Amino acid sequence: MAHMEAFLAATGLTKSFDSVQVVDSVSFTVRSQEIFGLLGPNGAGKTTTIRMLSTVLDPDDGDVNIGGHSVAKESDAVRRLIGVCPQELALYPELSATDNLVFFGRMAGLSGSQAKESAADVLERVGLTDRAKDAVRKYSGGMKRRVNIAIALMSRPQMLFLDEPTVGIDPQSRNHIFDTVLALRDEGMTVLYTTHYMEEADRLCDRIGIMDEGHIIALGTPAELKAQVGDADTTTLEEVFLSLTGRSLRD
Amino acid sequence: MRLVIRQALLLSFKDTRLFFKDRFAMGFALLFPILFIVAFSLALGDLGPEDEQLRMAVATEEESGFSREVIDLLTIADATGVDEWDPKDAGLALHEGRIPGYLLFPVGFTQRIFNGEGAEIWVITADGDPETEAVLGGLARSIGGRIGTLSLAVRGVTELEGLGSLDLVKLGQLGAAPPSIVFTTEQVGEVEPFNASNFTLPGYLTMFLFFAAALGAEAIARERQTQTLERLLSNGVRRSAIVAGKMLASLYRGLLQLAFLWALGIFAFSIDFGVSPVAVIAISVFMAVASSAFGVMLASLVRTVKSASSAAVLASLTLAPLGGCWWPLFITPDWMQALGRLTPHGWANDAFNKLMLFGAEGQDVLVHMAALLLFAAVFLTVAVARFRTVSAN
Ligand SMILES: Nc1ncnc2c1ncn2[C@@H]1O[C@H](COP(=O)(O)OP(=O)(O)O)[C@@H](O)[C@H]1O
Ligand SMILES: [Mg+2]
Repeated sequence: MAHMEAFLAATGLTKSFDSVQVVDSVSFTVRSQEIFGLLGPNGAGKTTTIRMLSTVLDPDDGDVNIGGHSVAKESDAVRRLIGVCPQELALYPELSATDNLVFFGRMAGLSGSQAKESAADVLERVGLTDRAKDAVRKYSGGMKRRVNIAIALMSRPQMLFLDEPTVGIDPQSRNHIFDTVLALRDEGMTVLYTTHYMEEADRLCDRIGIMDEGHIIALGTPAELKAQVGDADTTTLEEVFLSLTGRSLRD
Repeated sequence: MRLVIRQALLLSFKDTRLFFKDRFAMGFALLFPILFIVAFSLALGDLGPEDEQLRMAVATEEESGFSREVIDLLTIADATGVDEWDPKDAGLALHEGRIPGYLLFPVGFTQRIFNGEGAEIWVITADGDPETEAVLGGLARSIGGRIGTLSLAVRGVTELEGLGSLDLVKLGQLGAAPPSIVFTTEQVGEVEPFNASNFTLPGYLTMFLFFAAALGAEAIARERQTQTLERLLSNGVRRSAIVAGKMLASLYRGLLQLAFLWALGIFAFSIDFGVSPVAVIAISVFMAVASSAFGVMLASLVRTVKSASSAAVLASLTLAPLGGCWWPLFITPDWMQALGRLTPHGWANDAFNKLMLFGAEGQDVLVHMAALLLFAAVFLTVAVARFRTVSAN
């Protein structure tokens, strides 16, 4: 279960592209060993936020602290703590799952034998041991997504960023991914999970930040968010979003 | 530093593996250039070593005598490029187009010389073939010039000793200093044996080296789009390692292309590296360095995969003719040659032409090497300064 102390703390994160503010003074904390969801429609600024949290993009303003390290000043220490599963399939389809995993593992600093060992572990975890030698190109959409997650686990991170990890896959693979994420959390991993599927956030996340047009417009457990609008048992997050923005999340 | 090198090497090896799995990329880098080189070598001139030399036919209607001696001398070594023909065969061969023309010593050639009359050598060519006429005419004049002095000397000797037949060796023994007969053939126009591949091969090698490297920008842009570059960054990989790894991978591919195309040139097209093969190889390697730097720079400047391919195609197809890949720069007007200097292709091709066509030595192309490295440095600087790992998806 989640601890109360923050593993990640973001304060006043701000980023603009071509003078458009894409992320605007975003602050939130992710507690140790919880699944924190960023829920919002396409273009809300979720990916940009993850990029800033994961040391890929420098914020215009604000700071992030992960596991006691400043992202701006101690990015290398932060990188050793985190694993990132990007929104796109960030892998090489022509290579096998094992080769992808070993490559990224070695780039993250593992030795050849460490990388092979870790690859076997994470393949088992995402249920792809049988197909490990096949080129990822030949996998189903759901299997590719699982490889995408597996790569992020290669360096055994303490915190995992999952950017819309279930986009466009079959329910079976989706359930498999949910189970994996829950198991990781139960083993002590802290997870930041973005999605634009409200049922997904509802089912999976311990706490949720609802994001829209670069702002976090509501934050709390799913039950707390629903209670803001009506009866926590019958209200959906969709209705929460509608009441906050006047728009549907699906648009 | 060690970390960056390790990361760059790992990245470049991965890219090289991907290259060998990518049939299109391999075909484009290796097979496509061959098609062009074959096509344009055929279009521009003769192919292969057999036809390299222009052969000249000579025939005499005399059984013995002066013409006999001259022909023996001319055909003593293969290198003179002269073949003796039977007069009737030569006439027939010309008629059938097997030879472009021939020299004929007519009956009485020797006699006329002894008599002090003007002897004639006939230049026989097909109508309207001024080139062959010029070549054979040059040979005839050269023979005539020698025989003028020879005949005087010989006449003197014959009168003294009453020699019945001509024998140059005996002349020598008599101490009558036989004029040394050195036959030189005059070069007229484009008749020098010319292997078109000495121009076309380096030209297309330069073009495709650059083209393949420029298209490499596409793969980098794709990695940005699929967020693998981001993934690497969040894994602790340095930006400089990504740039270096990408450029290295491109350079390996370029070197493979070079090895392949030069080997093809040597074994299939009998190209001639000139007096300084090392300089030829060095120029091509520096061109590969400049090209791979260009590819990485292009990737930094464009946003999408599509714009990377368009820019690569556009740049490659513009710079190739400007830089003398399609026709030699030395036949173009001055302003075009000046324009060529603004491209790495221009420097590479100018160096190849100097080395492979005009007998230049390594030191003559040092400035070309420096220019290519300067291009590489500029491209790389822009690449590093503008390298983006994140795309707006
Ligand atoms: N590198 C970039 N350059 C320019 N605009 C960008 C870039 N990245 C994101 N954007 C824009 O910022 C907005 C938020 O994008 P993003 O963070 O990807 O949202 P989400 O992940 O919530 O869909 C979008 O309008 C997007 O077009
Ligand atoms: Mg996104």
